[in-house]
Amino acid sequence: MFLAILAGFLFAFAAPLLYRWLGKWVYVPMALLPFSIFAYLLTLTPSVLGGDNLGEVQQWAPSLNINLHFYLDGLSLLFALLITGFGTLIMLYAGGYLKGHPLLGRFYLYLTLFMTAMLGLVLAGNIISLFVFWELTSISSYLLIGFGHDKESSRASALQALLVTGLGGLALMAGLILVGMAGDTYTLSELLERGDMVTNHALYLPALVLVLLGAFTKSAQFPFHFWLPNAMAAPTPVSAYLHSATMVKAGVYLLARLTPVMGGTDEWQYTLMIVGGITTVLGALLAVQHTDLKAILAYTTISALGLLVTMTGVGTAPALEAMVVFLLAHALYKGTFFLVAGNVDHATGTRDLTQLTGLSGSMRYTAIAALLAGMSMAGLLPFFGFIGKELVYEATLEESPFRWMLFAISFFSGMVFVAVAIALGFGLFWQRSAKPTPLLHPDKALLYLPPVILSITGLVFGLLPGFLVTPLLRRSAEAMLGVEQVFELALWHGFNLVLGLSLLTIALGYVVYRFSNRLQAYATRFNGLYRYGPANLYQLSLKGFLAGVTKITASIQNGYLRSYIAAIVLTHITLIMLSLWKDGPRLELANRLPELAQLRMYEVVLLLMIVPALIFLFKSRSRLTSIAIMGIIGYSIALFYILFGAPDVAATQLLIETLTVVIFVLILHKLPAFRYLSHASERYKYILLSLAFGAMMTYVILIVKQYPLDSELKAYYGENSYLLGQGRNIVNVILVDFRALDTLGEIVVLAVAAIGILAMLKLRMQKGEKP
Amino acid sequence: MKTVILATAIRILIPIFIIFSVYTLFRGHNHPGGGFIGGLIGAIAFVFHTMTHGPHQTVNTFLKINLYGYPRQPNQSRSLYLMRMMRVNVWRRRRLARHPQLKERMIRIEPIYIIATGLLLAATSGVAGLIAGQPFMHAFWADFYIPILGKPGTPILFDIGVYLLVIGVVLKITFVMSEE
Repeated sequence: MFLAILAGFLFAFAAPLLYRWLGKWVYVPMALLPFSIFAYLLTLTPSVLGGDNLGEVQQWAPSLNINLHFYLDGLSLLFALLITGFGTLIMLYAGGYLKGHPLLGRFYLYLTLFMTAMLGLVLAGNIISLFVFWELTSISSYLLIGFGHDKESSRASALQALLVTGLGGLALMAGLILVGMAGDTYTLSELLERGDMVTNHALYLPALVLVLLGAFTKSAQFPFHFWLPNAMAAPTPVSAYLHSATMVKAGVYLLARLTPVMGGTDEWQYTLMIVGGITTVLGALLAVQHTDLKAILAYTTISALGLLVTMTGVGTAPALEAMVVFLLAHALYKGTFFLVAGNVDHATGTRDLTQLTGLSGSMRYTAIAALLAGMSMAGLLPFFGFIGKELVYEATLEESPFRWMLFAISFFSGMVFVAVAIALGFGLFWQRSAKPTPLLHPDKALLYLPPVILSITGLVFGLLPGFLVTPLLRRSAEAMLGVEQVFELALWHGFNLVLGLSLLTIALGYVVYRFSNRLQAYATRFNGLYRYGPANLYQLSLKGFLAGVTKITASIQNGYLRSYIAAIVLTHITLIMLSLWKDGPRLELANRLPELAQLRMYEVVLLLMIVPALIFLFKSRSRLTSIAIMGIIGYSIALFYILFGAPDVAATQLLIETLTVVIFVLILHKLPAFRYLSHASERYKYILLSLAFGAMMTYVILIVKQYPLDSELKAYYGENSYLLGQGRNIVNVILVDFRALDTLGEIVVLAVAAIGILAMLKLRMQKGEKP
Repeated sequence: MKTVILATAIRILIPIFIIFSVYTLFRGHNHPGGGFIGGLIGAIAFVFHTMTHGPHQTVNTFLKINLYGYPRQPNQSRSLYLMRMMRVNVWRRRRLARHPQLKERMIRIEPIYIIATGLLLAATSGVAGLIAGQPFMHAFWADFYIPILGKPGTPILFDIGVYLLVIGVVLKITFVMSEE
């Protein structure tokens, strides 16, 4: 498994090179990669179906219990097979869809990167590595949505998706760490057995909120659903792959994965059911209002994701079974539909449902795929979608306080799905039309084969459910429930209530389809409501955030050196004074007065030089005078250093003073004339600040001197400087040997500062211009 | 700033400054001094020169190397060409007249290069420890003394790095500030 992930990353970054070598044939190796991983996973299937959970550990940070841990059980196998199998088709499809695009190599880079990240996400056996892959999918999704980077809307959508899912990701990280703390492990397989420990922990509620935030943003649940329709700005292969079959299901996967750990409580159940229910209904409602093919598909996807979350929330055995079956069925037919929509868009140049009719003549194979997918989506009899829908109805009709609510939700979405399926699978292609939409180019094999394969898979799974998919789905449900499951998928359940309801759904769905024009006209009346929707809220908060940040930056970074220094000094004073005030030692000057008598003559002389110079400095009105006075003060301080036995420091101080004065003189004649524009109070303000800083430093030093300094360090360096450092100058030995790493850091800072100064002085800005 | 006395004096003083700064650098391990102080002393020499003669003059005098050369003939062996080039550059004045195609080439040492060299030297001095399987910055010392300079070892290399970096930084700042 580790090798599969590694190969994915290698292939991803080799994609641009491969494109240069192979040209349009680049899709062959790129499709072979997911296909070989798919085949490899198939070889592991028998042992997983036999009940084994395969694990693989690569040490990463073992001391923190964070490892690159891979874990394969039924649930992750289902997702991994979906990702790689679907990925193979998408890679082929993208080769046809973006044929001749100059950035095809880069596209494959992003797509393969995403696929690998997604694979890593579902195979991760450690919640920290799960999070890493999770973020990687967000980032690669950002790159893919913004693939058409020359369009403003594309970039905005990509950023929106990144912000929403990225923020969710941050919440998820915090949540997963809390889960790890509650369960006392980050390893998934151990965590799965400690469900009680986690749910009874005090941190359960915050962890739950954070994890759900992550899952809901990723899976486009209300109120975070708005990024998904916008993400349709991506090229269609991306929409089909990321935004219907895999990435948006990552949130569902996470919920399913954590069901044994965090599930079963009231909070979990109600939140999932409420949020999922609202999303289901909302997605279905919005889907009817649109005429853009991809928008319709996006909203029905949201609705389906809502249904999956609701089912996870219900949490009973039938509900979870229904969830995995519906998940697979949905991936099959929705993926097909996305690919079909891409074909139509590619061939006719439009995605508007009202302008497209009678395409079955010119796009025969695409039409067949659409028809098959439509029948699966509508839940007609021999298709896998039928089994999914039946199971969902059965699960919702189970004895529970909310059975009618749940049923109404699933029935409503089912009705809309039927309407959409008729519109897309039948209306678009097979409805007779006097004027079929003309094609820009005939249907291409690379474009119609993947949807045909997908839709036929849906049919085959429906016809032979017991043999092909039941064992895997059973293991997946087991992974969520933690107990052995016995369920058989069958096409025919006999004449019962559920079958009747299915038929009713189809009938009502047809009615919705017939009157969809009128419904759309009616729905436009509610457009005013969208102003209060979460999408607008997002725009507002983004705008407000940017404006706020601009304001704060403008007030903090105002470009005046004096305010920066004032801020630094003030912070310094406040922090030190606060900590001294709270529990610092008190200054006792009384018994230290005799020390004044030990004052030596030259110390007094130096003091008499410094203090008048300072007072003079406050009053000086010329730069040259100020610099000269600063020089006097600096040299006097250097003399103090010499008096107190620090020749190294004194030498440095002297040299720096000299340099400062000389450099000042160099630039002196280039500065504008010295004028005093600010009010006198401004000057007193800074004088006061300097005095406060001086007082604080004096106070601190007096306190420090109050206690005898007995540090072992001094003795250590004194003893070892010559023995270990081969030098008699302790200061220098510390600088270049004992603490050389610090010095290295300091000189790096010095070099960076030099480059910064260069950049700042070379940047010739006009007045009022911004950098 | 044109002051004849300082301008003349600094030209004589610069070699003394440099020698003293190198001496300070090496004595730093046992007596007051070291890379930082040495670098500052060395830099001050150049800063004074810039102050009196202007940055262009300083660059032309100290940070430019003029080489003479002609393009290599296609059938000429590479090593022979290199040796000729070296000879031409050592005795260029005599040869200049006889080679009409001899061209002047200028190599300019940017202060940034000095900074980079210093940083590289300081960083790599620690790598010796890594190669020997010791922690980064582990010190190695020779067993003999060099008169005046003292005992050679990797920390001295580190100090030389600091020295070069300080000179480079001060020169860069000075040049940028005085250029206009």
